[in-house]
Amino acid sequence: MLQNNLKNIERAKGLENAIIVSILLFLFSLIFPQRDSFLLALISESLILLVLFFVFSYIKSLLSTKTDSPFSLVLNAGILAALIFFIISVSNYWFSSLADKESNQNIINFLFSITIIFIFLVAVIYILASFRELFYLKQKKDLTVYFNTMQVFFLLTFFSNLLLKIDETLDYPYNSFFVVSIVLISLNSLRVSWIAFLVKKQKLYLLLVSTILSLLFGLNFGLLHNETNTIRQIIYNFSPGLYSILNLTMLYGMLYFGVIFFTTLFHLPTAEAFDRKALEVSSLMDLTKLITQVFDFKELADTVTSITANVCNSYAAWLVTRRDGEYEISSVHKISYVDADKLTKMLLNSDEYDNSRVQTFYYDSVSSEFRSEMNDWKSIAIAPLKLHGQINGFLLTARQKDVNYDEDEKKSLQAFADYATVSLENAKLLKESIEKERLEKELDVARDIQRKILPEKVPQSDNFQVAALFVPAFEVGGDYYDFFYLDDDNLGFVVADVSGKGISAAFIMAEVKGIFESLSKLILNPRDLLIKVNEILKESLDKKNFVTVVYGVLNKNSGVINFARAGHPPIILCSGNKIERLQPSGIGIGLDYSNGFGNSLKEMQIVLKNEDIIAFYSDGVPEAKNAKDEDFGYERFENIILQNRNKSIDEITNILMQELSLFSKDHSQHDDITLVLIKWNKKN
Amino acid sequence: MADFNVNLRDVGSVSVIDVNGYLDAHTAPELENVFNKLLDQKNFKVVVNFSDLKYISSAGLGVFMAYVETMRENNGDIKFSNLKDNVYNIFDLLGFPILYEFYKDEQEAIQKFNEMSKS
Repeated sequence: MLQNNLKNIERAKGLENAIIVSILLFLFSLIFPQRDSFLLALISESLILLVLFFVFSYIKSLLSTKTDSPFSLVLNAGILAALIFFIISVSNYWFSSLADKESNQNIINFLFSITIIFIFLVAVIYILASFRELFYLKQKKDLTVYFNTMQVFFLLTFFSNLLLKIDETLDYPYNSFFVVSIVLISLNSLRVSWIAFLVKKQKLYLLLVSTILSLLFGLNFGLLHNETNTIRQIIYNFSPGLYSILNLTMLYGMLYFGVIFFTTLFHLPTAEAFDRKALEVSSLMDLTKLITQVFDFKELADTVTSITANVCNSYAAWLVTRRDGEYEISSVHKISYVDADKLTKMLLNSDEYDNSRVQTFYYDSVSSEFRSEMNDWKSIAIAPLKLHGQINGFLLTARQKDVNYDEDEKKSLQAFADYATVSLENAKLLKESIEKERLEKELDVARDIQRKILPEKVPQSDNFQVAALFVPAFEVGGDYYDFFYLDDDNLGFVVADVSGKGISAAFIMAEVKGIFESLSKLILNPRDLLIKVNEILKESLDKKNFVTVVYGVLNKNSGVINFARAGHPPIILCSGNKIERLQPSGIGIGLDYSNGFGNSLKEMQIVLKNEDIIAFYSDGVPEAKNAKDEDFGYERFENIILQNRNKSIDEITNILMQELSLFSKDHSQHDDITLVLIKWNKKN
Repeated sequence: MADFNVNLRDVGSVSVIDVNGYLDAHTAPELENVFNKLLDQKNFKVVVNFSDLKYISSAGLGVFMAYVETMRENNGDIKFSNLKDNVYNIFDLLGFPILYEFYKDEQEAIQKFNEMSKS
């Protein structure tokens, strides 16, 4: 922004300078119409040179914004050349009197000729500046020195004219400078690499334009050499230097456009190939941009097919992708789905088909049964979409013309097929990551449900201590434990494990909680309660899901526990230095909805003595695994309780937890761990 | 992950499924496929041989629960044989032996089926 402003200021200043010097030149010419003396001529030439310089630098900055459109530069130069030609041609008829030196006294004639001189001056400078821009266009090397050398010799030629004022015979410096300038012009005329970057249409156009312009510049050059030409006389009389610059510029134009003509002519046969390469490169660039921006595969597939058809000089193109082992058409361009499907199947089933490379099928070479299918499509090319040696689909393109695909077109087709492969993979990875995110969210929800379902604190009593431990597995198992304050004397407690994991297990768990919350106060008998629970859960449990439960009721005064076990791991009772597993009969909830469940379910009663410890837990405890895939097991579990039985219930829980995590530190926890310990503290 | 293999063979009119390795939530679908195949073929007499099974999870147990009803409705059954102690304990804890027949040897289970069809 700032730089632009600065440039604008600079440019305005350049224009200012040019105008000031032009006015000076104008006044000088007005005062000294005759400049026969060397000094006057020198001053006059210097002023003209300054005007040339300032106008040149102004136009240079003006043109620098046009470098990406060589055509407008060429056309501008051409229009000015035509203007010059027009003025020169008509000058002899219309203002021949101007050439007369005497008539310069006439103010109108003077104004007229000075206007023409300024027109020529600006035109010449503009043409030169245009040539300069064209010269630098698409040049990779620094060629400043060549152009600058030429400019220096232009200058030398310009001033060497003054020597003629001193001595008429002193013309060899002028001549030699002029010749060197021509040589340099010829060399610089060869810098036409920008032509290669034009498309074929532009090249044809340029061919025509350059013919005309070369002729035009040549004519101008020739006309200006005609000694009787009015314009020549006007300019030469005014400034011999300007005249020689004009000559050189016309020569430059003639040579330059001549070179352009021949170069374009030689470029024409390869123009189409060049165009296609350029199109391919720009298409690939567009695609690359798309791949990073567009996550919608359909949109991308449409782009791929349309670009493919375009770059491969084809009529139609379509993309086939594999989903669940089946090939399906993802996108079509200028062909119907039915046709595309038919042709794809035909090619893939053909004996000649080989999916390791791009293959072409030509009307002439296919068997007659295919030919009837291919009647609209004379030539087809197919490229595999390959990733890690696996074929994920195909990119196909077809022509209605009787022309086979060449190597270049096959290569482009494969390039686009590769792009389609990458974008397919991208789309797949994106989908997977979205799915993963969704699963993680689901896990979060499940964890949240589980956390809300479990009790916040354990019951407090003088007669017993309760401690509960819950360690969720990463995948969220279905463990649940709870306490129910049934009445003043009785405390209900439950430890359950819902089979399955994740959100479905969490929902069953929530239902189980609801059932126990509502039934525990209505049905005090643990066995009856579990039978009812089995009946209710029949509605919501899948055939392959089940729930294992231990439900018991503890009398807070007497230490009597009545409990029933439905498929759950046994209860551990530590009494004195004796430890035992209590496993009354009972099958898991959801295994049987007939009488089998009730018939098998037995209730058990124990009476807790002082310092007795009872443990309810989920299978996550004994089944915790170590690195060798061994179970934590009941022995370890029981020994820890036995050895620490004199400690407080919280201490025992902590020790158990430590031992468990130490044991399974090299193995990921795959199931929830739930542990509820009760220690009776009352002498009965 | 832990590997699991399942093999199906016919002994007379009885289909014997050999399960091998670790049967858990990840591998259970393989076993389900075998049961679906049996249903398609209308083979309802199934013996599952556990001699090479190392571990079974609740998802593995669920597979048998899901299919036993259909088998029994069609005069068939799922019977278990050759269980290692640790695998049997898992079934036992859940109360499977009350609902399913367990045999020490595959042959006994097949014989049981044959006797049933004779009578």
